[in-house]
Amino acid sequence: MPRALDYTKESEMPSVPVSLGDMKWSKTGSWRYMRPNYEDKTPPCNQACPAGNDVVRFVMLVEEGKTKSGWLKIKEESPFPGVCGRVCFHPCETQCNRGQYDQPVSIHRLERFVADACAHSRSRNLDRWGDRSERVAIIGSGPAGLSCAYHLALLGYHPEVFEALPVPGGILRVGIPEYRLPEGVLNREISDLETLGVKIRTDTKVDKDFFDGGGQEYQAVFIATGAHESQRLGISGEDGPGVIPGLTFLREVRMIQKVRPGKRVAVVGGGNTALDAARSALRLKSQPVIIYRRSQDEMPAFAGEIEEAMEEGIEIEFLTQPVRVIRENGGVAGLECIRMNLGEVDETGRKRPVPIKGSNFTLDVDGILVAIGEAPDARLLPPDVELDWRSLTLQDVSRAESRGVFFGGDLVSPFRTVAHAIGSGKKGAISVDAFLRGDNPLEVLEMTRIGETGGVSMRKYIDTGYRTLSRHVVNFDELNTAYFKPLSKTDRKCLSASSRIRDFREVNRGLIRREARYEAERCFKCGTCNECENCYVFCPDVSILRNMRKLKHEINYDQCKGCGICFTECPRTAISMEEEQR
Amino acid sequence: MKKVMTGNEAVAQGVKLSRVQVISAYPITPQTTIVEELSEMCADGRLNAKFLKVESEHSAMASIIASCTAGVRSFTATSSQGLVLMHEMLHWAAGARLPVVMVNVNRALGSPWNIGNEQSDSLSQRDTGWIQLYCENNQEVVDTIPQAYRIAETVKLPVMVVLDAFVLSHTAEPTEIPDQERIDEFLPPFKGDFTLTGRRHQSFNPITSPDYYMEFRYKIQKAMDQAKEVARSVDEDYEGLFRRGYGIMEKYNWDGADTVLVTSGAVTSTSRFVADELAKEGKRVGLLKMKMFRPFPTEAIREVLGGTRKVAVLDRGLSFGQSGFFAQEIRSTFCNEDEQPRIFGFVAGLGGRDVTPEDIRQMISYTLENDRPRHDIIWIGLKQ
Amino acid sequence: MIEIRFHGRGGQGAVVASKLLASALFAEGKSVQSFPSFGVERRGAPVMAFLRIDNHPIKLRTNVYNPDHIIVLDATLVEAVDVTSGLKPKGWIILNSDHSPEEFTGFASFRVATVDATKIAVENHLGSRTHPIVNTAILGAFSKVTGLVSIEAVAQSIREAVPAKTEENARAAVEAYDKTVLPSNDHPTEG
Repeated sequence: MPRALDYTKESEMPSVPVSLGDMKWSKTGSWRYMRPNYEDKTPPCNQACPAGNDVVRFVMLVEEGKTKSGWLKIKEESPFPGVCGRVCFHPCETQCNRGQYDQPVSIHRLERFVADACAHSRSRNLDRWGDRSERVAIIGSGPAGLSCAYHLALLGYHPEVFEALPVPGGILRVGIPEYRLPEGVLNREISDLETLGVKIRTDTKVDKDFFDGGGQEYQAVFIATGAHESQRLGISGEDGPGVIPGLTFLREVRMIQKVRPGKRVAVVGGGNTALDAARSALRLKSQPVIIYRRSQDEMPAFAGEIEEAMEEGIEIEFLTQPVRVIRENGGVAGLECIRMNLGEVDETGRKRPVPIKGSNFTLDVDGILVAIGEAPDARLLPPDVELDWRSLTLQDVSRAESRGVFFGGDLVSPFRTVAHAIGSGKKGAISVDAFLRGDNPLEVLEMTRIGETGGVSMRKYIDTGYRTLSRHVVNFDELNTAYFKPLSKTDRKCLSASSRIRDFREVNRGLIRREARYEAERCFKCGTCNECENCYVFCPDVSILRNMRKLKHEINYDQCKGCGICFTECPRTAISMEEEQR
Repeated sequence: MKKVMTGNEAVAQGVKLSRVQVISAYPITPQTTIVEELSEMCADGRLNAKFLKVESEHSAMASIIASCTAGVRSFTATSSQGLVLMHEMLHWAAGARLPVVMVNVNRALGSPWNIGNEQSDSLSQRDTGWIQLYCENNQEVVDTIPQAYRIAETVKLPVMVVLDAFVLSHTAEPTEIPDQERIDEFLPPFKGDFTLTGRRHQSFNPITSPDYYMEFRYKIQKAMDQAKEVARSVDEDYEGLFRRGYGIMEKYNWDGADTVLVTSGAVTSTSRFVADELAKEGKRVGLLKMKMFRPFPTEAIREVLGGTRKVAVLDRGLSFGQSGFFAQEIRSTFCNEDEQPRIFGFVAGLGGRDVTPEDIRQMISYTLENDRPRHDIIWIGLKQ
Repeated sequence: MIEIRFHGRGGQGAVVASKLLASALFAEGKSVQSFPSFGVERRGAPVMAFLRIDNHPIKLRTNVYNPDHIIVLDATLVEAVDVTSGLKPKGWIILNSDHSPEEFTGFASFRVATVDATKIAVENHLGSRTHPIVNTAILGAFSKVTGLVSIEAVAQSIREAVPAKTEENARAAVEAYDKTVLPSNDHPTEG
């Protein structure tokens, strides 16, 4: 038991004012009424990622130069870093706290950098969790279906994926043009997934009979057939040659190559499908004009897409609505339109467009691409399914037969993005596994949620230690920005507008290694301890202990007085202060 | 080997001979040529020491406090404004019991600006816990620096070696450079009792409660008392090796004198010249050169001056509102004695004003002619 | 004891000249004390340096008030400064000048010697034509005029202490020794 040195004579004391003992006998920890502890919290980017990526941790690995580890970190949560690094609308960057400081970290470009740098890496290196004999069928090989299959494979299953088309990938392959997502990137990530033992049966259409008949051998089914039913304009002359649904057009471009939609083609709609269709038409030597009934602010397409389309010189007629297809000799001879005004705010939160009487005019076009939205093919859905549009709907439709049927992707979600689909597939995989283990999938999904409103985390699902990770989402005001210096975002690099419209070459270029390290360094690592050692340096009582072997710090509660300096000086809120419970 | 060199060159030679390992200094007239020479010695390898460039004298002292705490023989030099800027750190070095050595080139303090010789800068630091040794000529400068390290490292207190601005610092005269091998014999490598090495967890100069603070102050005083004897014996050792000794004070022309002039620093030299002349004229006036000012050699002063009738004290500096530094201290030495000499306090040669043989004769005449001083301060050479 | 005063301009090397001369005298067994005027000196301003010479250790540490001889590195100073202030009667004034001693008529009670140290310095490439370094050459004249120190000791002192153009500086002193002009009615002081 250490004790205080006690001198009674001057001659016993050292000549120099120097400590000859230590202060361990003085348990100043008893003074503490607030207790600091290391507690990693949820960064806003992680919560914002619909796919449930652990953004900060993969970025930290990139910063340390461990690109391969970064790739594996992403692969724990998503099979598609190369895809998402290109096509994701990156809500992570919108929520990035750095955006309130200077500019957000280029997370999606970092993801692409990692994926491209690890193009030859394989997921076999990931930990597999057990070996399951239950058979699981997945209907649809789009991002949701493949994500579900991938995660099930990691959980030890051997899922079988059914795809109606001759090629796997769904919307990734037939809905997104190559200049945004090169075929090689997609093939690479799908084939990686197949090496995990996922079987993809292409050219295999599944209908209701599947459940009634042969499907009985599957103990669980995940259905993610997407939303392909283009909505109709509902105007005269719509039916007939020359008027093509946008998704159909995009699929033909990918599968048939030689497609010519017309010399001058009207693209109706303001979403991503409309933009993709118009830009693809431009690359096929057509002259597209986009017709949208509201203004640019209301366009649902990603801002970057609109910007790139405008760079390429694509004309957009805002506040315009088609009223009639003019036909001559069966073909399209023009599109009669009417100008619109924005009126009251409607139930979608946007201003409702109102036609201006007498403003009709005719657009001289010989083709029309309709991209005003797609609906799911509801035929696969049992009639008693209740759709909850906010999240993956879980419905055990066949409890009597002990069979779990789950739905995901665009089929049931209003958020028609690749990232949401990937997240949905992961939820499906977790639900299937929970169901097969006799757990309540809804409860499990809630336990594995990232932050308060985010997606789900595989890491949390398989590693129960991760579930204790605080759900508190770190906001900008909680950071100690005195420790950060302004560093502007790496400039976007892309092909010039004039050269890229000649063919379907990828428009955007990736980051080089130096830029990636720089972007990773810009990351605040909100709520995530990166061993910056500010706590260690600032602790006035030397009560932060360093554990070199484990590469982390611990608090010596015998001495810690709870002054809170570590908490204040932590740049990223990876330390919490709680009232002492005695 | 004897060479014609300035006082500042003699300092550099003394530092080199002492095998100093860290030098940290900020330039100031008239000290500058010391650090110029030392930085060249460090650069060309004549001296195996780390030379630290710092942004102020305060930092210079702070950094040698650090290097000395780490167990490394350390040196700095300064003057005047630089010394008083160090003031806070001077207390610290002594309290931390660090045997650093500093040379101070005596220079007047502003305002108004003046770069001339005067002792107020060092004497006003008398309460900081530093040992102070004053030199009379360049030979004494080069000899005193190795002695200073030995004294400092024995009693664990910092030592200030003082020389006069220009009169010594920039004056070249023949000076013997001691042999390095014999200096090495005289001054062994520095080894501190407690050093910050990183191998042992130890807190240096921690906050100390009233329970113990007083004892540490007592220990400084005890070390100061010890330093008087240590300085004497160190000088004896030195004299044994080099045939040159200085003592902590020196009597000159003492034979039968009952009137004594007390001096320090380079003006002692001119005073010897005057004492020699007076002796030829048949006037018996003794001279007492004080080399050590801190610790104040109270017992020795009582012993030496106790039998005299009149003591004239030459001060090149004063404590405003009291009197000359040396005069004050010598007066207080006798306050409880039955037999006391009359103490005449003279202030002369401020701000580089020349102290001529005539000035010194005037002090002696006043002392001889008056039974007791009419004022606490008798100003010499003042335009009145 | 003999006291010498040097007059020069800041940057001309009067202080170094005093120190070089001190070393030469010391080498010949003299006690010496060399020091500058203690002021805030600037390039071009009139400056002084001093030298005491004795056969015994020098105790006196005051300014020099009554020099025995003076050395003037720049003849233009004669107009600007009272160079003879305190100079003892019959003291030597050693001037850097291309004129003969007789032309300096204002120094009746003193002895004047001249040497064209500027020309010697330029010929030996010491300094530039506009700023010749004359401090070593003038020492040769001092040796010749006063006889207090041998020219060999002066040259040796220069060789030991001057880091650059060492031989040129030593040669300049020797040349000045030979070219010093004494007044026609006077002779060098004998050692």
